[in-house]
Parts: sequence; C-alpha cells; structure tokens
Amino acid sequence: MAFQITIEQFEGPLDLMLHLIKENKLDLFDLDMNVLTTQYLAYLDAMESLHLEIASEYLSELAGLIEYKSKKLLPREKVEISEEYEEDQREKLVQRLLEYQRFKEVSALLSRQYEDRQMLMGKPLSEETSKWIEASSELPLAGNPYDLIKAMQKVMRRQALLKPYETRMTIKELSLDERVVQMRKRLDGWSGKMSFEELCSDCTSLHMVIVTFLGVLDLIKLKAITYTIDEDDVIWIIKGDEYHGS
Amino acid sequence: MEVKTVLEGLLFLCGDEGLTMEQMQGTLETSREEVESALVQLKEEYDKETHGIELTRFGGIYKFVSKATVYPYAEKLFASTKMASLSQAAMETLAIIAYKQPITRAEIEEIRGVGCDMMIRKLMARSLIKESGRSDAPGKPFLYEITPEFMDAFKLESLKELPELPKEEEQGEEELFDEV
Repeated sequence: MAFQITIEQFEGPLDLMLHLIKENKLDLFDLDMNVLTTQYLAYLDAMESLHLEIASEYLSELAGLIEYKSKKLLPREKVEISEEYEEDQREKLVQRLLEYQRFKEVSALLSRQYEDRQMLMGKPLSEETSKWIEASSELPLAGNPYDLIKAMQKVMRRQALLKPYETRMTIKELSLDERVVQMRKRLDGWSGKMSFEELCSDCTSLHMVIVTFLGVLDLIKLKAITYTIDEDDVIWIIKGDEYHGS
Repeated sequence: MEVKTVLEGLLFLCGDEGLTMEQMQGTLETSREEVESALVQLKEEYDKETHGIELTRFGGIYKFVSKATVYPYAEKLFASTKMASLSQAAMETLAIIAYKQPITRAEIEEIRGVGCDMMIRKLMARSLIKESGRSDAPGKPFLYEITPEFMDAFKLESLKELPELPKEEEQGEEELFDEV
C-alpha cells in the first residue's frame, strides 16, 4: 500500500495514531496493532525523507509499538502469560488514545467558545478611577509620629546620597581661561564702571561666580582692568585705559 | 437614584475590570436581591438590538462588552484587531487542566503524549493557568489550575458550564458500538 503523505500538523504521537486509525478505518476497540505500527513507521519514514525533524516523543511511542510487535513475533513458551501481557499493552494504548481523543474533542468546543469571547470587547478601566484605586490600594498607614520622623530621615539621607551625583551632572566645567575670554568680550563693548554683581549676571552656579572672581583677579594682574570698592561693599570693575583716562 | 442607574454608571467606569456581586452590594449598601434584579433589568435592556454593548457575567464578574455584531466594524475601524489566538496544543493543555485540576505537568504530558513544559509556561504568562501548591507525588511537582482569566476567556460563569467531556469507554457497551 502506497503511503500518501499529507503535511499535517500533529500535536503528538497520540494525535498521529488517532489520525492513522481514522485514515485506515481501524477499529479503536479492536485495534489492529500490526497495521497501526506499519503505518506509524511509514509516516515517520516519510517525515524523515522530507528532512522534517521528528520529535523524541514520536520515537518513544514507536519504541513501544515495535516492542509490542516483536514480543508477538517471538515464539511463546508460556502462552497464557504472554497473551495477557499483549492484551494489557494494547489495552493501555487504547485507553490512552481514547482519553486523548476526549480532550481533543472538547478542546475543539472550547476553541469555539474562545473565539466567541474574542468578538466581545471590553474597554479599560476609566483613567480617573484607576487613579483612585492606586491611591486607595496602598496599605493602611499605621504608626506613630516617630515612625514618620524616621521615614523622613530616610528620605533626607537618600536625598543627601543622591545630591553629589546630581550636582556633578549639572556642573558645566568652565575653565578660568575660557571665562577670561568671555569677560574680555563683554568688557570690549562696555565703557565706564561695571559692578561685580553685574559681571556675574550670567553665572548659573557658585562655581561660575568663583571662576569669574578669579578671572577678575587675572585681568587686574594683566592690567586690563582696575577696581574700586565703595562704602556699600560693592566691587566695581573699571576698564584699565578709562581709569587712566579719568 | 435608582440602583439600576448607579450600577450602569459603575459598570461603565470599571470597564474591563468589571465588578463582582459583593463589590456592587457593598457599594450600594443594599440587598443582594435588589442588585440582582437591577442587573437582570440592565441585561434585558442591553440585550435589545438597539444597544451595541451587552452585560456579561463570566467567572462571577459583571462587565460591559461590545456585542459580537459590532466586531466586524471594530475590525474595520482599528484596521488590525487581531484575535489573540490559542494554538491547538494550548487548547488541549487548557482543556486537560480545566477538567482535571489540580493536575501536575507529568499527568498532562501522560494524556497528551508530548512534553508540555514550554506550553505551561506560556499559559502561565498569559494568566490562563496558575500554580496551586504542590502534589505529594515524588519530587513534589507543582499542581496547576485555571484562573478567573480563563473563565473570562472562555465565556464561563463556573466550571460547571464547561462542555461535557465525551463519555468514557467503560460507560456502556451500546454506546461503544454506536461510536464506531
């Protein structure tokens, strides 16, 4: 008998056996193990010739079938016992096939129900209400003011731990030389006096103010500017040549 | 305000999450009978053809969903409303768990004749099944059972609503011959 291969997806050896039994019109309740084994083997051979991977489960079931067949072929000495064994093995396989078939059938029903359900669509929980739920699902607060203080200290400590990292991230390292160039540019379009405060108006951090101050000292040393300090402790920057001029 | 009116509003707000009888009863501080009759009225009202949504109760949770008749249009509107499908293997595994729970992996594999390790993990990831303690068998394997999400996904109010398993062989010779 020529074996016709149909590329069908089987869910396992039991599924395949059920298929073969149906194909060959075998009686599940008086199973012809011989035909089943031959067909099963032929199917696996066909799969192999198509270079399809055969899962190990198929092979282990095949081993069972072959074992049964070979036992039957061997000359029997104790007829009664061996027949009992054969019956038992076959019976066991039939039981498994039947049980598998039951679940296969019912899973088709479930599958239909699942598809029906997919046609019914819900919508997510309203946004506002989901917020309430989050707020109210927190554990009820229990404790005394000291717990609160302890918790607050923890928060502060964590904050303190985080701080160095944060500041390091935001500092824009500005070198003294760069700052001096910036200041010279500003002073170029300027005449008269400028307070140190005004000079620092573009400073975003203390670090920059300090660099600016160092820059002022530098410029004084280079005699590009001079300075005075009035009675209100305001530092006034004066452009060098204009000071000389006045 | 009427119980029915409030319930309609609450069910609308809850959407997918839905509400249980206990939640509704507790919120409205009224008798179970009153809530039940209001729900029956609501359901009847929404079952009419003039409405595009309906009130469902799967696994003890009430919620509003769009009707199946709306589905083709929703598909069109959202262009790619793909159904989250379950494979034949997944269906078989779920069926075995639903009818035999709690059950170990080895027992499922015995029935299906194939390894189910990955499948079980996939189904757990989709919350359709969950672990429910361990069996006393050697190695104390995990036991699996279905979840409320399973009930919802299969339109089930309770496990009693599962379609009947085809009869076992032992249950009568006559049937056997009919089947063959």
